[in-house]
Amino acid sequence: MGKKNNVTASGIEIRKKSLGLRIWNHRGYYIMFLPVLIFLLIFNYWPMLGVRYALYDYKPVGEPVFVGLKHFTKMFSTDAFWTAFKNTLELSIIKLFLSTFASVIVSIFLNEMGNLFAKKTLQTIIYLPHFMSWAVVASIFSLFLSPSSTGMVNGLLKDWGIVAKDGMGIYFLADENYWRPIYYVINLWKDTGWGTIIFLATLSGINPELYEAGDIDGATRLQKMRYITLPALANTIITVLILNLAKVMNLFESVFVLYNNAVYSVADVCATYIYRQTFAMALPNYGYSTAVGLFRSLVGCVLVIVCNWASKKTRGRGII
Amino acid sequence: MKKKVLSLLLASAMVVSLAACGGSDAPAESSAAANNNTESSAADNNAGNAEAPAEEFKLEKVKMVVNGTLTATVDNGQAEFEKQWEDAVGVDLEISQLDHSGYVDAVGRLFASQDYPDVMIMSADMYAQYAPTGLLWDMTEAYDNAEFQSRMTLPAINEALKKDGKLYGFAPTYGNGCVTYVKKAWLDAVGIDASTITNYDAYYNMLKAFHDGDPDGNGTTGDTYGVVAAGFLGNEAPYINYLPEFWQDAYPAILQDENGVWYDGFNTEETKAALLRLQQAYNEGAIDPETLTASTKIAREKWFSNDQTGSSGVFTYWAGSWYQTLTDNLIKNEVNEELVQLPPIAEVEAIGGYLNREAPVWVIIDDMDGDNTREQAIFDAFIETMMDGGTVQTLWTYGAEDVHWSTKAEEFTVNPGTDNEKTYSYEEGVFHLKQSPNDPNSVWKKNHLDPALVVSPLTNGFNSVEGLAAEGNLFFTENCVDAPISPVSETYTNESGTIYDAKMAVVTEVVTKNGDVEAAMANYVATVGSIIEQCLAELNG
Amino acid sequence: MAEAAVYRKPKKKIKMFDVINYIVFILLGLIIIVPMWKVLSDSFNAVGVYQFRIWPDKFSVDGYKTIIETQALYRPFINSVVTTILGALLGLVLSTLGGYVLIQFEMPGRSLFAGMLLFTMIFSGGMIPEYLVMKELGLVNNMWILVFKHGINVYNIVLMRNFFEGIPSSLYEAAKIDGCSPMGIFFRIVLPLSKAALASIGLMFAVTVWNDYSTVKIYITDNDQVNFQYKLRNMIMDGDTPTTAYKVSQNTLFNAGIICAILPFMMLYPFLQQYFVKGVNIGAVKE
Repeated sequence: MGKKNNVTASGIEIRKKSLGLRIWNHRGYYIMFLPVLIFLLIFNYWPMLGVRYALYDYKPVGEPVFVGLKHFTKMFSTDAFWTAFKNTLELSIIKLFLSTFASVIVSIFLNEMGNLFAKKTLQTIIYLPHFMSWAVVASIFSLFLSPSSTGMVNGLLKDWGIVAKDGMGIYFLADENYWRPIYYVINLWKDTGWGTIIFLATLSGINPELYEAGDIDGATRLQKMRYITLPALANTIITVLILNLAKVMNLFESVFVLYNNAVYSVADVCATYIYRQTFAMALPNYGYSTAVGLFRSLVGCVLVIVCNWASKKTRGRGII
Repeated sequence: MKKKVLSLLLASAMVVSLAACGGSDAPAESSAAANNNTESSAADNNAGNAEAPAEEFKLEKVKMVVNGTLTATVDNGQAEFEKQWEDAVGVDLEISQLDHSGYVDAVGRLFASQDYPDVMIMSADMYAQYAPTGLLWDMTEAYDNAEFQSRMTLPAINEALKKDGKLYGFAPTYGNGCVTYVKKAWLDAVGIDASTITNYDAYYNMLKAFHDGDPDGNGTTGDTYGVVAAGFLGNEAPYINYLPEFWQDAYPAILQDENGVWYDGFNTEETKAALLRLQQAYNEGAIDPETLTASTKIAREKWFSNDQTGSSGVFTYWAGSWYQTLTDNLIKNEVNEELVQLPPIAEVEAIGGYLNREAPVWVIIDDMDGDNTREQAIFDAFIETMMDGGTVQTLWTYGAEDVHWSTKAEEFTVNPGTDNEKTYSYEEGVFHLKQSPNDPNSVWKKNHLDPALVVSPLTNGFNSVEGLAAEGNLFFTENCVDAPISPVSETYTNESGTIYDAKMAVVTEVVTKNGDVEAAMANYVATVGSIIEQCLAELNG
Repeated sequence: MAEAAVYRKPKKKIKMFDVINYIVFILLGLIIIVPMWKVLSDSFNAVGVYQFRIWPDKFSVDGYKTIIETQALYRPFINSVVTTILGALLGLVLSTLGGYVLIQFEMPGRSLFAGMLLFTMIFSGGMIPEYLVMKELGLVNNMWILVFKHGINVYNIVLMRNFFEGIPSSLYEAAKIDGCSPMGIFFRIVLPLSKAALASIGLMFAVTVWNDYSTVKIYITDNDQVNFQYKLRNMIMDGDTPTTAYKVSQNTLFNAGIICAILPFMMLYPFLQQYFVKGVNIGAVKE
């Protein structure tokens, strides 16, 4: 539409448009964008100004006092912060690779399913957990994993003789050895199914002729999966990984609803650390938690830029 | 269709522009001068709250924040309580009842939001933490001149709350404390006589017997525990009150020695010994592992649960009215309700007995405008009336008339058709409690104030402390000692969360992971040692 | 089935593969279903059991009765419904407007707007500065924050943009020649053609708002302003259970609460599934 002549409001035809005229021509669109812009400025850009408090002592009582880099010095010398930082990276990266891997496998095999009804039914089922909130999922699994008499997992372990019948059972969610594996399993349960959608879409786009050619060459089902299906997915897999890698610092709610003070060493992440430093304090120092948040944002920013660069390298276009 | 969408758009744009007006000046201004920004907004807030010319200040509304101790919850006749309070006082009352187990956390969030109420309840250690911040109104004068002074029977309670001679909060009752309850049926099932439980070894053996035996009689051993509590280490002073037998002479917080010198009671040999006792109990099933994360409500629901499998035989909980409440809940759940109140074991007796916690207080939030009219008006409307000895104090003590209690003739039956069926009948003019609004099978007990603990009694003669509650109160007062006083230090206020996290790290490391107590303690010192030093320096300075 | 047959020649090995494939997927389905079914059957079970039960041992609806009779849960539930509906509407309005403007390639400032939107994906002020802004706006301790906070979702704006871009430009041209204003085109041509996309994105917003727990946890302390997810979680994890007249076990109550929290979307889900999936796929087109 760009190359055609435009009709202005007054109906005069013009060939070349000045900037002013172009703006005037689009005035309707500016008005339409206004609400978006206002929301964007208020809810996204205004908070960015707040990062300056990282340099202040700022409490609910009294005025902010400039303290320079004090909070950063404190932060970098605090073990709890480094634990949280390390956990954030480990938890979200491992989670990302596990669930992407699982989604790819499930979608490949789902794609091989001949019976359309069975396929649809299964899709309906495996997408289901995605629509449950983290609060609900955490509640369900906390009940299952509870060491109390109604905890299903401990009850079954006792029935099967894996845990001594008169023992106390395992307090999975409060045990550093179990917390992470359980966290990954819950994540897999919740989001593997949903993650398959994008891969299934790619798979449905594969040219059937490729498979026919494979049949002619006498390729087995597995061989076709290995040599046709998987390569077709490669690009999508990389895209998904890169897109999500950029978000690893955002990890919050899933951890927040599942952790407790017994497992901070393996479960505490930056966002939960910030939460506790602010909202579980008698008198929080916004300055300190802002500093931690700023550091987190900056690391996230670097990750996005790296991912974008990686994306350009691998797929020829950036993610943003 | 078009119209609808358009109107929606317009509406949203309006909202947006309104919101934008509200805050549009701030970013520009604040980037230039951060200090001014918050200062002015704080002032605006206060102005919005209640600021009027001093001479003609008229209090119209009291916004109150309370925890679960206001028993008249929304499901239990709160609306009627509120209405009768408003009718009696002539001021609008806005009740915001926060979740009990998350109260400390919720208050932290509330203060972070600077969305201050007018009055709120605080535990003693919260009170100590907020006292130096200037947020709490200094009510010394108002208290001294209060009308209820003439009826005061326990003046020492509030005297003890004064910090440097200033009173920032009012305690309508004394603190009360926890005593240890044991299920009689469980004792019988394992063949232990309660009177033999006189020292820690006997106590511990009882816990073990509850775990190793089959006290609930379901044919399976090992599916029950000795004791359950809300946390190995409480998050509210006096911290150790839910497991006194394990903590014994340890007091894992900053406290004063006999010479008045403050020291850290956490990093002591006594605490280490207590942690090792808890470790053993955790390993051997004497203590319910869910103690680690349980809230008080989870712990007690588990204890008097309808299904006793997974429950515990021992529970250390509040004395007095809770004795009655625990019993009633056992009855309701069709569990043998007979309980034994265990006198302090020798090791607990050595520190004087069960701890009587510092009293929780009602505080008034200071708007910091240098003018006391508003605060005095709140004091008069809220605290003065709470202790009026008559109508309003009755509301706080027993709840709303004809909802929670009545003086009209009536007859009602609880637990009809069961072994515990009981009929109550009263003549006209006799004060009595009615059935709970949300549970016709239990009789209402009290509202916020416990009549047995109150510092200035009712003068209308209404009294319903009887039976187990009275027995429990007596038992407690005979066996209690005052808990240590909470420290008031600015550093402590700022860092209490960090210190608590560090303590919890030690507790979980040692108790649940069999960690080395010395190493865990060294870690504690490395993490918060300098903060503690600073607190102590401030306190002893 | 017919399509699948196009590229499949029956072989003996295939049978074997199919059998294993079906078994694996039946197991997978069970892994998803069993936890949910346990919650459902426990919610009707008067006694708390750890075993998986297809049907409750002792059928009872007391758990649900308790929840229905607990006034303290009414407000949270209503709050959830109201904020979900309004939040979805606001999100839809902002996403469609944003997406539509972003395909006006000739519009001066378009790339600036796009850049502004995308920058928020790279950098954010963080939890605390955001909190301080919400405080200034009076949205702390205020349930409307659930509506406003999710209004801008750059990902959804991009989804809408991609969808609009797929609408044949000849339609726009025709409308323009007919003298339609941008708004007119938007309402008369673009929106009617985008019903499926609108449904899927609206649903995504609705799910986000309904399921939001952490916003409430951070911003709201007032019990009148919280949503159902928050109340439910408090009930289960902090034992903030209603005291009841029924002899209902805590376990029954918890499970009944969980069912109530997921019920609205679980009931709608089978009918709306295609829209959810479509939403993800609109994004996938552009990948």
